Amino acid sequence: MSFFRPNFLHGLARSAVIVGLAAVPFVLPAPARAQTDIPVGVIMPTTGKEARPGQYQREGIELAIKQINDGGGIYIKSLKKKLPIREVFYDDGSENARSASLAERAMSSDKVIAVIGGYSTPLGEAESVMPDRYQTPWITPGAAASSIFSHGYQYTFGALSTVESLGYTTGQFLGWLADGGKLRKGLKIAMAVENTDHGKDYVNGVTKWVGQHPGYFTVAFNEKFEEHSTDFSGLLQKIKAAHADIFLSDAHLPDYVTMQRQYLQAGMFHQMVSYGARGPEADARKAMGAGVDYIFAGVWWSADLKYPQAKKFVTDYTAFAGHAPDSWYAAIAYDAMRILAQSIERAGSLDKAAIRDQLRSGDLKNSLVPGQTLKFESNGQAAYPFVIVQNKPNGKVDIVYPPDAATGPAVAPMPRP
Amino acid sequence: MTATDFLNLLIAALLLAGTYAAMAVGMTVIYGVMKIVNLAHAGFLMLGAYYVYELHERLGIFPLLGVLLAFPAFFAAGVLVHWVLGRGVPVSDTPTLASLLLMFGLWLVLQNVGYLIWGTDDRSILTPMTFATIRFGEITIPKIGLVVFVSAIVSLAALEFVLHKTWFGRSIRALIQNRYSCRIVGIPVERTARLTFGLGVAFAGTAGGLLALLYPFSPDFGRPFLLRSFVIIVLGGLESFSGVFAGALILALVETFGILFVPSSYQPAISFSLLVLALIVLPDGVAGFVAKMRSRGAA
Amino acid sequence: MNPRAEPVGLAARVLRTAPPLLLLAVMAALPLFQLGPNSLKLLFLTCVWIAASVGWNILGGFAGQVSFGFAVFFGLGAYTTAVGINQGISPYLTYPLAAAIAALASLLIGLPTFRLRGPYFAIATIGVSEAVRVVMTNIDFTGGSSGYRITEHGPFRQAEHYYTALALAALAVGISILVRHSRFGLGLRAIRDDQDAAADSGVNPYAFKLAAHAIAAAFTGAAGGVLARYAAFIDPEGVFGFQRSVGILLMPVIGGVNTIWGPVIGGGVYGLIEEELVAKFPQFHLLLYGVLVMLIILFEPGGVVGLFARARRFVLRRRVASWQPS
Repeated sequence: MSFFRPNFLHGLARSAVIVGLAAVPFVLPAPARAQTDIPVGVIMPTTGKEARPGQYQREGIELAIKQINDGGGIYIKSLKKKLPIREVFYDDGSENARSASLAERAMSSDKVIAVIGGYSTPLGEAESVMPDRYQTPWITPGAAASSIFSHGYQYTFGALSTVESLGYTTGQFLGWLADGGKLRKGLKIAMAVENTDHGKDYVNGVTKWVGQHPGYFTVAFNEKFEEHSTDFSGLLQKIKAAHADIFLSDAHLPDYVTMQRQYLQAGMFHQMVSYGARGPEADARKAMGAGVDYIFAGVWWSADLKYPQAKKFVTDYTAFAGHAPDSWYAAIAYDAMRILAQSIERAGSLDKAAIRDQLRSGDLKNSLVPGQTLKFESNGQAAYPFVIVQNKPNGKVDIVYPPDAATGPAVAPMPRP
Repeated sequence: MTATDFLNLLIAALLLAGTYAAMAVGMTVIYGVMKIVNLAHAGFLMLGAYYVYELHERLGIFPLLGVLLAFPAFFAAGVLVHWVLGRGVPVSDTPTLASLLLMFGLWLVLQNVGYLIWGTDDRSILTPMTFATIRFGEITIPKIGLVVFVSAIVSLAALEFVLHKTWFGRSIRALIQNRYSCRIVGIPVERTARLTFGLGVAFAGTAGGLLALLYPFSPDFGRPFLLRSFVIIVLGGLESFSGVFAGALILALVETFGILFVPSSYQPAISFSLLVLALIVLPDGVAGFVAKMRSRGAA
Repeated sequence: MNPRAEPVGLAARVLRTAPPLLLLAVMAALPLFQLGPNSLKLLFLTCVWIAASVGWNILGGFAGQVSFGFAVFFGLGAYTTAVGINQGISPYLTYPLAAAIAALASLLIGLPTFRLRGPYFAIATIGVSEAVRVVMTNIDFTGGSSGYRITEHGPFRQAEHYYTALALAALAVGISILVRHSRFGLGLRAIRDDQDAAADSGVNPYAFKLAAHAIAAAFTGAAGGVLARYAAFIDPEGVFGFQRSVGILLMPVIGGVNTIWGPVIGGGVYGLIEEELVAKFPQFHLLLYGVLVMLIILFEPGGVVGLFARARRFVLRRRVASWQPS
């Protein structure tokens, strides 16, 4: 006897669909392979809000990989041969959760030896829980917030000096201008920073310098704004009402452009203006023309540094990427890859713990960064000095501080528009 | 705070209010006639911005002219969309969730088509006028803000003219009042609804173009303005045009002056809180509230 | 044989409960098959999304109150678990706590907003959700907009996370079935069809809606907590953002709103697309959802489940048409 059982079949069909859907991903087996190359995960936003700098950092990493592979690759002592680097690239779309998920995928199932990723701080923070979980070295060339490196992680490394020292260097620069008579002492500073660890660190750095050097400046206004806002007019009105002489902001590229436009539209003026680590970016120049003249920024690297290795990088990069390096993004990523390659070679094997040890203890001489040495401190974050660059008319950018690296004079106060 | 600072803020708020009103009116028109909450309004705002941008970049067309050109282009687009969606956008007496979700889906599609075509970076429209300011002593008015404000007022005045002095406009107002009576009187309901949808989208497109002169934009451009449009038409009453003015003014004033009492990072929360408050306390909006007060007074 | 005959009695009940239990057994046995960390992560995420999706559906599907602001509960649950674990509380205690806090929040939100109907309610929920997000971005204790990190000592056991999520999803589906077949569920259905008529029939719409909201919020909050522990780093934009609310809403709509298995299918589809498709084609997934939603509203409001039902009716019609009485 047979009888039609619509409910049972229907339910079974449903279950089959669900299980079938779930079965799709692991029908594809993971191939076991002999080690013929060195897989390195690269996680950068090439779409989304941070796409532009993300793309630059990717280009810097790929230039380094190309140059290493052109020489045959990295020599692995335990295998007695050179192996080329294979980049495994992931686009995290500027989304935190996806960035973390991709880091996890890279380390756990794609079995990379190391990951370079995380522009910028929020993406880096999300990724940073994965290195220790999967015991894979991770270097970030784009996340500078010290909070990433204060958890005792063993496998996280950051190629950017702290944003706090960026703030401190900004204070130093302004103090130097005051000493040189270009700015009066006793000026008031208005600060508007993004509501993130990055912004917090920046404020800490500036106020630390101001506190250690009484008589130079006072911070008259200090507020945070939400990242990726469309309208800063209210905040700018408040800043206007503070009647400060110097305006310091810490923002990423989108907010820098939005705020500076509205700043100019509000007819505002300060003797010195800075947006933290943003200033000379080509996108800002394109969006605002002469509106970005004389803005200064504290950067981790500048194409105007006089070191021979920096000049060579500029030439190589321009040929590789088809455009000149835009601010510091590509150069730091380039050196992150170089120090990783060096550490793999020094470790003599593809053992991730050994590579981590080499990253922790070694340093990259002949580095592009100011000071020419890239070294990770005990907490994993690098610490090298900053340079201050200032936008000049007609698209020119000068290094203005420290004096021994300067390529042009610091213009202070800014001329009125 | 000095008198000059206060005046500066007030002027900024007024300029903002005009722009906000132009932005919200597109949604009001569609809701009033068809009771459809047009979430895709955000998508059309964004497309309007890119339309003006592309005309400026590729053909060198002056942005204000581009805004003017956006009107017929988006009117046609709106009518087309309405025709394609057909049964999903019925004229009904009450808002339906199906139409809400449908418009939401349309918004997702528009936004992501935008991403595909233009990528994710912010664009802005740069003209010689962008940074010019007019000064009256200590008071500064950005020229572009004034221009946008005047354009917004002109477009709203044009809408008012259409609504009160043309047959089409009168049929829209009739539809808002009572759909069945319209059929009795001989108004072609479906056709009017389609043209109204086009009108609403046209306003969204032009408003988007105007906003593009003020702010940088990306395909996600519409979202904060969508939420602000909600606030405005809820404040103003979802079916009244003079209400839209009132709502825009209230929102602009609260946003501009609210910052003085609240840290800047809380600024986005101001409009959202106002939205929730308005929905709960004034379900018929300010205009409805005023009408109720008047009728109570008359009784 | 009558093609429309259904088995009755004990046999029937066994046959009806068999498929879901079979599914559960299969899902529970999967980790034994050496799947690889990526697949297990995918299954984990699917279970988390199923829990949130089934939860939302209790309010949005059964009761017909479409909320665009469920990220509030997801986020509250996530932060509750995160802070709790960092304070030393066992994760398994933080999940009920997360559910409770989300349910409490749902009462606070529902009390003023349930006076609104339809789209007004939907819009209000957007406002509330965004306001909470902005506030969370500013609270320093939970890290503000930079996010909050969970530090757990001890090895990371992926299977443990998976089983937790599976248990939560199974519980959600079970409660959903119970609600559906109860008087409470009947009341919700009445509210969905016509709130005023329901009120006239003796249902208290306000109370019923609040109760449904609380159950829905509890599951969404617990899902948030489970995910937070796995991700070990959460930030306001990710867990409270509008994108998150949209995601939670898309799942039951695509799978079939107002059904038991619709949200489950929707959760599965969403989890698969989010993890696999997004890794390879980052910008297409939202476009796909948008098109899916539009197609579903226009042609098959019942979602994937509706499509199945349509197919079943088609088959049934053909069987009836070809039935010859003996």
